[in-house]
Amino acid sequence: MEKTFTEKIQICKKNKIAGLYPTTKFQVVILFSISTIVLNSIKLTDFKLALLLIPWFLLVPFMFAITGEFKKCMKAMKAISFIAIFIMVVQTFIVSGGKTLWVWHFIAIREKGLQTGLSLCFLILNIAGIFVWLFQSTSTKEITRCLEDTKMSFKVAYIFASTLEMIKVFSSKSKIILDAQRARGVETEGNLFIRAKAFIPTLVPLILGGIIGSEERVLTLEARGFSMKGNKTHLFNLKKSGYERIILTISIIITILILAGRIYLWIMN
Amino acid sequence: MDYELECKDVTYTYPLAQKPAIKELNLKIEKGKLYGVIGENGSGKTTLCSILRGFAPSFYKGDLTGEILVQGKALASYKDQISRKIGYVFQNPFTQISGIKNTVFEEVAYGLENFGIDVEEIEKKVINIMQLTDIMELAEKSPFELSGGQMQRVALASVIVLEPEILIIDEPTSQLDPQSTESVFKIIKKLKEEKKTIILVEHKVDLLAEYSDEMIVLHDSKIIKQGESREVLSDLSLREYGIRLPEVTLLSEKLREAGLDIDQLPITKNQILDLIEKKRKGE
Ligand SMILES: Nc1ncnc2c1ncn2[C@@H]1O[C@H](COP(=O)(O)OP(=O)(O)O)[C@@H](O)[C@H]1O
Ligand SMILES: [Mg+2]
Repeated sequence: MEKTFTEKIQICKKNKIAGLYPTTKFQVVILFSISTIVLNSIKLTDFKLALLLIPWFLLVPFMFAITGEFKKCMKAMKAISFIAIFIMVVQTFIVSGGKTLWVWHFIAIREKGLQTGLSLCFLILNIAGIFVWLFQSTSTKEITRCLEDTKMSFKVAYIFASTLEMIKVFSSKSKIILDAQRARGVETEGNLFIRAKAFIPTLVPLILGGIIGSEERVLTLEARGFSMKGNKTHLFNLKKSGYERIILTISIIITILILAGRIYLWIMN
Repeated sequence: MDYELECKDVTYTYPLAQKPAIKELNLKIEKGKLYGVIGENGSGKTTLCSILRGFAPSFYKGDLTGEILVQGKALASYKDQISRKIGYVFQNPFTQISGIKNTVFEEVAYGLENFGIDVEEIEKKVINIMQLTDIMELAEKSPFELSGGQMQRVALASVIVLEPEILIIDEPTSQLDPQSTESVFKIIKKLKEEKKTIILVEHKVDLLAEYSDEMIVLHDSKIIKQGESREVLSDLSLREYGIRLPEVTLLSEKLREAGLDIDQLPITKNQILDLIEKKRKGE
């Protein structure tokens, strides 16, 4: 038998990790971030470096892989890695204090610099990485639906969803307009200034259209019972993949072990 | 008998406006009829629609005096249930999508979701309406990727699916090409056959002459003429108010000037053909 439309709009993921309930994913993200911060406070070697963050970071690509979204996530990590490494380099050379480890003419690496550089870099990589995992493996549709379920105001859920949709539409529309500009001979490549010059005329109609449209949009929603009281039906519903409990348990255990280790070190010293 | 909609001495002024956008409005809308609304730009057509739906003053704020009754009860007493009674389709097709749905099917279903209808029921109703409005093949497309004409049909479908007894449609075709205009009017025709009460603002008088039962003419915030379509649209004096009359009416006027004895000017093709037929037989 042919599928009904309602069946067709459901999201079915083969991968059990990708298919985790969004709330569970969010809990994992929070636990991972807490663990990261705790690990950051454990300083090793004579130079007091947060070295544990480095092996910990291996978990991030591991998560990408078991979720079956490795490529997509790694693409998103590119820009983040660039920023993280840039920050590490700048911090390492700029922050002074502590022993001098290495000098070449006027450039020097000092103990404090290495400490902050390393720790900032891996804090960013770890925490941004886990958020990349969350957002690359969860669609806006799922996140919105989840917000609706958490008894958060449906208005907030609407604003969230429509903003994300708008960004998608804006970026695809601005690409179309940029192409049109290029076809008309307007320069769209080159330095920032040239790009901005090509881009501003494309943005004005987009933004104006958005503002003028919003009044009619509000009324349109109203005409379709947006603020109607009482129970709403949802054609799209979130499903659990069945691995929620185990994943959450593992995450909690790891976090507790890390915390225990941290406390043990405090007592020992 | 209760009218579907009734306005008694309604005057409405937008916030900060110097003068009312609608003055001393008296209107009786009967069940199952299609009312065409015409008037120059700025004459108050859209404002009239907003008043009939309650958007003015509930959304626009401003000052409203007089009484508006829906099926004999005060409009305000319906509260949020009014969207079940009165459907509203706007002029701009592109601002009428919810902006949060990935497929046309979900877009059309959105209002029913808000109403809390059962899932199976929604599926049935939406399919029904998608067939009626000829958008079945768009069902799984993204609403953001539609043309103006397609979007306007989706907008109509999204409102009709709620099965309102009264439909207010404000210039649905002003931004559409002739072909899309025709498909929108096909839908309106079907709605008329279903005995819906329809209030249709439209500049294309030839189409109104064809489809409407009654006409309402606005000028400078006031109704200057209302009544049966043939009577209203054959009134040549309306031209003084910047109102275009149907081609057929203008043609008949020329015929009358040429010496043909015409009592009441025809406004549609069929009427003029009838007239010619009668004259031919008579002679
Ligand atoms: N939101 C608004 N706020 C203030 N004035 C408005 C608003 N909308 C319309 N008007 C004014 O009310 C009058 C009637 O407008 P409108 O009903 O839109 O006319 P129409 O639809 O016939 O073109 C115009 O003078 C217009 O400037
Ligand atoms: Mg208007």
